[in-house]
Amino acid sequence: MTDQPDSTRSGDEVPIEKQPDDSKALPTSDAPPREGEEYSGEDYGSEERFIFTPPIDIYETDEGLVLHADLPGVSLETLDLQVQDNKLTLFGRVSPPAPPEAQLTHCEYRVGDFLRSFILSDEVDHDRIRATLNNGVLRVVLPKARKSEPRRIQVQTD
Amino acid sequence: MPIFRWGQAWGGAFRDLEREVDRLLQGVNLTFEGVRFGRQYPPLNLYELPDEYLLTAELPGTRSEDLELTVAGGILTLKGRRDELKDVPEEKFRRSERFHGNWQRSVTIPDRVRDEEMTAEFNDGILKVHLPKGEETSPRQIPVVESHDS
Repeated sequence: MTDQPDSTRSGDEVPIEKQPDDSKALPTSDAPPREGEEYSGEDYGSEERFIFTPPIDIYETDEGLVLHADLPGVSLETLDLQVQDNKLTLFGRVSPPAPPEAQLTHCEYRVGDFLRSFILSDEVDHDRIRATLNNGVLRVVLPKARKSEPRRIQVQTD
Repeated sequence: MPIFRWGQAWGGAFRDLEREVDRLLQGVNLTFEGVRFGRQYPPLNLYELPDEYLLTAELPGTRSEDLELTVAGGILTLKGRRDELKDVPEEKFRRSERFHGNWQRSVTIPDRVRDEEMTAEFNDGILKVHLPKGEETSPRQIPVVESHDS
Protein backbone atom coordinates (compact mmCIF):
# COMPACT_ATOMS: atom_id res chain seq x y z
CA MET A 1 0.00 0.00 0.00
CA THR A 2 1.63 3.21 -1.04
CA ASP A 3 -1.21 5.50 -0.31
CA GLN A 4 -3.13 6.20 2.85
CA PRO A 5 -6.87 6.31 2.68
CA ASP A 6 -8.25 9.79 2.46
CA SER A 7 -9.83 9.59 5.86
CA THR A 8 -6.45 9.82 7.51
CA ARG A 9 -5.50 12.96 5.66
CA SER A 10 -6.48 16.40 6.60
CA GLY A 11 -7.30 18.85 3.89
CA ASP A 12 -10.28 20.56 2.43
CA GLU A 13 -12.33 18.87 -0.23
CA VAL A 14 -12.06 20.77 -3.50
CA PRO A 15 -15.20 20.94 -5.61
CA ILE A 16 -14.55 19.88 -9.19
CA GLU A 17 -16.45 21.79 -11.83
CA LYS A 18 -17.71 19.42 -14.49
CA GLN A 19 -19.34 21.97 -16.72
CA PRO A 20 -17.55 25.21 -16.18
CA ASP A 21 -19.53 28.38 -16.43
CA ASP A 22 -18.32 30.23 -19.50
CA SER A 23 -18.53 33.52 -17.71
CA LYS A 24 -15.76 32.33 -15.43
CA ALA A 25 -13.36 31.39 -18.17
CA LEU A 26 -9.87 30.61 -17.01
CA PRO A 27 -7.08 32.65 -18.54
CA THR A 28 -6.09 29.92 -20.92
CA SER A 29 -6.69 28.69 -24.37
CA ASP A 30 -4.93 25.55 -25.41
CA ALA A 31 -1.63 27.17 -24.66
CA PRO A 32 -1.23 28.36 -21.12
CA PRO A 33 1.10 31.31 -20.67
CA ARG A 34 4.71 30.59 -19.97
CA GLU A 35 6.50 31.14 -16.72
CA GLY A 36 6.23 34.69 -15.58
CA GLU A 37 4.11 35.70 -18.50
CA GLU A 38 1.87 38.60 -17.73
CA TYR A 39 -1.79 38.57 -18.38
CA SER A 40 -4.64 40.82 -17.51
CA GLY A 41 -7.29 38.79 -15.82
CA GLU A 42 -10.76 40.16 -16.24
CA ASP A 43 -11.31 39.73 -12.56
CA TYR A 44 -8.61 42.23 -11.86
CA GLY A 45 -9.47 44.96 -14.27
CA SER A 46 -6.31 46.07 -15.97
CA GLU A 47 -3.99 44.98 -13.19
CA GLU A 48 -1.08 43.00 -14.57
CA ARG A 49 -0.44 39.66 -12.97
CA PHE A 50 2.06 36.88 -13.45
CA ILE A 51 1.19 33.30 -14.09
CA PHE A 52 3.32 30.28 -13.23
CA THR A 53 3.34 26.57 -13.95
CA PRO A 54 3.21 24.80 -10.60
CA PRO A 55 5.53 21.83 -10.05
CA ILE A 56 3.75 18.49 -9.79
CA ASP A 57 4.35 14.91 -8.73
CA ILE A 58 2.33 12.08 -10.24
CA TYR A 59 2.50 8.58 -8.85
CA GLU A 60 0.65 5.37 -9.39
CA THR A 61 -1.35 3.48 -6.79
CA ASP A 62 -3.41 0.33 -6.97
CA GLU A 63 -6.51 2.32 -7.68
CA GLY A 64 -5.17 4.83 -10.15
CA LEU A 65 -3.02 7.93 -10.19
CA VAL A 66 -2.42 10.59 -7.60
CA LEU A 67 -1.29 14.07 -8.55
CA HIS A 68 0.21 16.58 -6.14
CA ALA A 69 0.69 20.20 -7.16
CA ASP A 70 2.44 22.92 -5.19
CA LEU A 71 0.15 25.92 -5.00
CA PRO A 72 1.53 28.08 -2.18
CA GLY A 73 -0.80 30.92 -1.29
CA VAL A 74 -3.84 29.31 -2.90
CA SER A 75 -6.86 28.65 -0.71
CA LEU A 76 -10.12 26.85 -1.34
CA GLU A 77 -11.73 30.17 -2.23
CA THR A 78 -9.15 31.01 -4.89
CA LEU A 79 -8.79 27.60 -6.51
CA ASP A 80 -10.61 26.49 -9.64
CA LEU A 81 -10.47 22.86 -10.64
CA GLN A 82 -12.28 21.97 -13.83
CA VAL A 83 -12.81 18.84 -15.85
CA GLN A 84 -14.06 19.49 -19.33
CA ASP A 85 -13.71 17.42 -22.50
CA ASN A 86 -10.99 15.19 -21.08
CA LYS A 87 -9.03 18.20 -19.91
CA LEU A 88 -8.26 18.75 -16.25
CA THR A 89 -7.33 22.34 -15.52
CA LEU A 90 -6.20 23.81 -12.24
CA PHE A 91 -6.04 27.53 -11.72
CA GLY A 92 -5.15 29.12 -8.40
CA ARG A 93 -5.11 32.80 -7.65
CA VAL A 94 -2.58 34.17 -5.19
CA SER A 95 -2.71 37.44 -3.29
CA PRO A 96 0.50 39.30 -2.56
CA PRO A 97 1.84 38.37 0.89
CA ALA A 98 2.54 41.95 1.92
CA PRO A 99 0.34 45.05 1.99
CA PRO A 100 0.55 47.32 -1.08
CA GLU A 101 2.62 49.97 0.68
CA ALA A 102 5.40 47.47 1.45
CA GLN A 103 8.71 47.94 -0.31
CA LEU A 104 10.18 44.76 -1.71
CA THR A 105 13.82 45.05 -0.68
CA HIS A 106 15.04 41.53 -1.46
CA CYS A 107 13.33 39.30 -4.01
CA GLU A 108 13.96 35.63 -4.74
CA TYR A 109 10.53 34.73 -6.04
CA ARG A 110 7.75 36.50 -7.81
CA VAL A 111 4.17 36.23 -6.77
CA GLY A 112 1.63 35.18 -9.33
CA ASP A 113 -1.19 32.81 -10.10
CA PHE A 114 -0.82 29.12 -10.92
CA LEU A 115 -2.15 27.39 -14.01
CA ARG A 116 -1.65 23.92 -15.45
CA SER A 117 -3.71 21.59 -17.66
CA PHE A 118 -3.66 17.87 -18.30
CA ILE A 119 -5.28 15.56 -20.78
CA LEU A 120 -7.07 12.70 -19.07
CA SER A 121 -7.13 9.33 -20.75
CA ASP A 122 -10.31 7.31 -21.00
CA GLU A 123 -8.91 5.04 -18.36
CA VAL A 124 -9.53 7.66 -15.74
CA ASP A 125 -12.98 7.52 -14.22
CA HIS A 126 -13.92 11.17 -14.54
CA ASP A 127 -16.87 10.87 -12.21
CA ARG A 128 -14.80 9.64 -9.32
CA ILE A 129 -12.02 12.22 -9.47
CA ARG A 130 -11.67 13.87 -6.12
CA ALA A 131 -9.36 16.49 -4.74
CA THR A 132 -8.22 18.01 -1.49
CA LEU A 133 -6.21 21.12 -0.69
CA ASN A 134 -3.95 21.20 2.32
CA ASN A 135 -1.26 23.72 3.24
CA GLY A 136 -0.98 24.97 -0.30
CA VAL A 137 -0.72 21.50 -1.86
CA LEU A 138 -3.47 20.22 -4.15
CA ARG A 139 -3.93 16.47 -4.18
CA VAL A 140 -6.01 15.01 -6.99
CA VAL A 141 -6.95 11.33 -7.03
CA LEU A 142 -7.63 9.96 -10.51
CA PRO A 143 -9.18 6.50 -10.15
CA LYS A 144 -8.89 3.93 -12.88
CA ALA A 145 -12.14 3.20 -14.63
CA ARG A 146 -13.44 -0.19 -13.61
CA LYS A 147 -12.87 -2.63 -16.43
CA SER A 148 -15.61 -4.99 -17.45
CA GLU A 149 -14.73 -8.66 -17.15
CA PRO A 150 -13.47 -10.32 -20.29
CA ARG A 151 -16.18 -12.41 -21.87
CA ARG A 152 -15.46 -15.81 -23.32
CA ILE A 153 -16.75 -16.26 -26.78
CA GLN A 154 -17.46 -19.81 -27.76
CA VAL A 155 -16.08 -20.64 -31.12
CA GLN A 156 -18.08 -23.32 -32.75
CA THR A 157 -17.00 -25.37 -35.63
CA ASP A 158 -19.47 -26.38 -38.24
CA MET B 1 20.61 17.33 1.18
CA PRO B 2 17.49 17.80 -0.87
CA ILE B 3 16.43 14.71 -2.71
CA PHE B 4 14.90 14.99 -6.09
CA ARG B 5 13.23 11.91 -7.42
CA TRP B 6 12.98 11.44 -11.10
CA GLY B 7 9.92 9.76 -12.42
CA GLN B 8 10.22 6.69 -14.53
CA ALA B 9 10.29 7.06 -18.26
CA TRP B 10 7.03 7.41 -20.08
CA GLY B 11 4.74 4.56 -20.71
CA GLY B 12 2.24 2.48 -18.89
CA ALA B 13 -1.47 2.48 -18.79
CA PHE B 14 -1.87 6.16 -18.12
CA ARG B 15 0.48 7.48 -20.70
CA ASP B 16 -2.12 9.80 -22.15
CA LEU B 17 -2.61 11.61 -18.93
CA GLU B 18 0.91 12.81 -19.17
CA ARG B 19 0.32 14.43 -22.48
CA GLU B 20 -0.14 17.83 -21.11
CA VAL B 21 -1.65 20.54 -23.14
CA ASP B 22 1.30 22.82 -22.61
CA ARG B 23 4.88 22.77 -23.72
CA LEU B 24 5.57 19.48 -21.94
CA LEU B 25 4.35 17.95 -25.15
CA GLN B 26 7.90 18.53 -26.24
CA GLY B 27 8.53 15.12 -24.84
CA VAL B 28 10.84 13.40 -22.51
CA ASN B 29 13.32 16.21 -22.37
CA LEU B 30 11.78 17.70 -19.26
CA THR B 31 13.47 20.90 -18.43
CA PHE B 32 12.39 22.98 -15.55
CA GLU B 33 11.86 26.07 -17.54
CA GLY B 34 8.56 27.17 -16.20
CA VAL B 35 8.79 25.20 -13.04
CA ARG B 36 9.99 27.15 -10.08
CA PHE B 37 12.93 25.05 -9.26
CA GLY B 38 16.63 24.76 -9.01
CA ARG B 39 17.40 27.65 -6.77
CA GLN B 40 17.96 27.89 -3.06
CA TYR B 41 15.08 26.36 -1.20
CA PRO B 42 12.92 27.97 -0.12
CA PRO B 43 13.09 31.24 -2.04
CA LEU B 44 12.68 34.20 0.30
CA ASN B 45 11.35 37.71 -0.15
CA LEU B 46 11.92 40.58 2.25
CA TYR B 47 9.56 43.53 2.41
CA GLU B 48 10.00 46.75 4.35
CA LEU B 49 7.09 48.50 6.01
CA PRO B 50 7.12 51.60 8.20
CA ASP B 51 7.26 49.64 11.44
CA GLU B 52 8.50 46.21 10.46
CA TYR B 53 10.33 44.02 7.99
CA LEU B 54 8.40 41.10 6.60
CA LEU B 55 10.16 37.95 5.45
CA THR B 56 8.07 35.59 3.32
CA ALA B 57 8.72 32.08 1.99
CA GLU B 58 6.72 29.57 0.00
CA LEU B 59 6.66 26.24 1.82
CA PRO B 60 3.70 24.32 0.42
CA GLY B 61 3.00 21.01 2.08
CA THR B 62 5.30 21.61 4.99
CA ARG B 63 3.62 20.94 8.31
CA SER B 64 4.10 23.63 10.93
CA GLU B 65 5.51 21.03 13.31
CA ASP B 66 8.24 20.35 10.76
CA LEU B 67 9.23 24.02 10.67
CA GLU B 68 11.86 25.40 12.99
CA LEU B 69 12.81 29.06 13.34
CA THR B 70 15.70 30.10 15.55
CA VAL B 71 17.38 33.43 16.15
CA ALA B 72 20.89 33.76 17.45
CA GLY B 73 23.57 36.38 17.07
CA GLY B 74 21.63 38.43 14.55
CA ILE B 75 21.05 35.41 12.30
CA LEU B 76 17.62 33.96 11.66
CA THR B 77 17.74 30.29 10.71
CA LEU B 78 14.81 28.55 9.04
CA LYS B 79 14.82 24.78 8.97
CA GLY B 80 12.31 22.25 7.84
CA ARG B 81 11.51 19.20 5.80
CA ARG B 82 8.90 17.90 3.46
CA ASP B 83 8.76 14.19 2.84
CA GLU B 84 5.10 13.27 2.70
CA LEU B 85 5.72 10.97 -0.27
CA LYS B 86 8.72 9.14 1.15
CA ASP B 87 6.77 5.88 1.30
CA VAL B 88 5.94 5.90 -2.39
CA PRO B 89 8.37 3.59 -4.18
CA GLU B 90 10.47 5.32 -6.77
CA GLU B 91 9.22 3.17 -9.62
CA LYS B 92 5.66 4.35 -8.96
CA PHE B 93 6.49 7.94 -9.89
CA ARG B 94 5.47 9.19 -13.30
CA ARG B 95 6.48 12.75 -12.69
CA SER B 96 8.58 14.20 -9.95
CA GLU B 97 9.07 17.92 -10.00
CA ARG B 98 8.41 18.91 -6.43
CA PHE B 99 11.01 19.45 -3.77
CA HIS B 100 11.35 16.72 -1.16
CA GLY B 101 13.73 16.49 1.72
CA ASN B 102 15.34 18.66 4.34
CA TRP B 103 16.25 22.27 3.85
CA GLN B 104 17.83 25.06 5.82
CA ARG B 105 18.42 28.74 5.21
CA SER B 106 19.95 31.49 7.29
CA VAL B 107 19.47 35.21 6.87
CA THR B 108 21.09 38.14 8.62
CA ILE B 109 18.54 40.17 10.49
CA PRO B 110 18.60 43.91 9.85
CA ASP B 111 20.21 45.80 12.73
CA ARG B 112 17.29 47.58 14.21
CA VAL B 113 14.99 44.59 14.65
CA ARG B 114 13.66 43.71 18.09
CA ASP B 115 14.50 40.01 18.14
CA GLU B 116 12.38 39.25 21.13
CA GLU B 117 9.23 40.54 19.43
CA MET B 118 9.52 38.55 16.21
CA THR B 119 6.43 36.55 15.29
CA ALA B 120 5.66 34.09 12.50
CA GLU B 121 2.50 32.87 10.83
CA PHE B 122 1.98 30.01 8.40
CA ASN B 123 -1.06 29.75 6.14
CA ASP B 124 -1.76 28.00 2.82
CA GLY B 125 1.90 27.06 2.58
CA ILE B 126 3.14 30.66 2.95
CA LEU B 127 5.39 31.51 5.88
CA LYS B 128 5.46 35.12 7.07
CA VAL B 129 7.98 36.23 9.66
CA HIS B 130 7.37 39.67 11.16
CA LEU B 131 10.48 41.53 12.27
CA PRO B 132 9.42 44.62 14.23
CA LYS B 133 11.73 47.60 13.89
CA GLY B 134 13.29 49.00 17.03
CA GLU B 135 14.36 52.53 17.78
CA GLU B 136 16.94 54.00 15.50
CA THR B 137 20.11 53.78 17.51
CA SER B 138 21.98 57.03 17.35
CA PRO B 139 25.56 56.68 16.33
CA ARG B 140 27.90 56.77 19.28
CA GLN B 141 30.77 59.20 19.10
CA ILE B 142 34.09 57.64 19.86
CA PRO B 143 36.47 60.25 21.12
CA VAL B 144 39.81 60.25 19.46
CA VAL B 145 42.61 60.92 21.85
CA GLU B 146 45.79 62.27 20.49
CA SER B 147 48.61 60.03 21.41
CA HIS B 148 51.94 61.44 22.42
CA ASP B 149 54.16 58.78 21.15
CA SER B 150 57.58 59.98 20.49
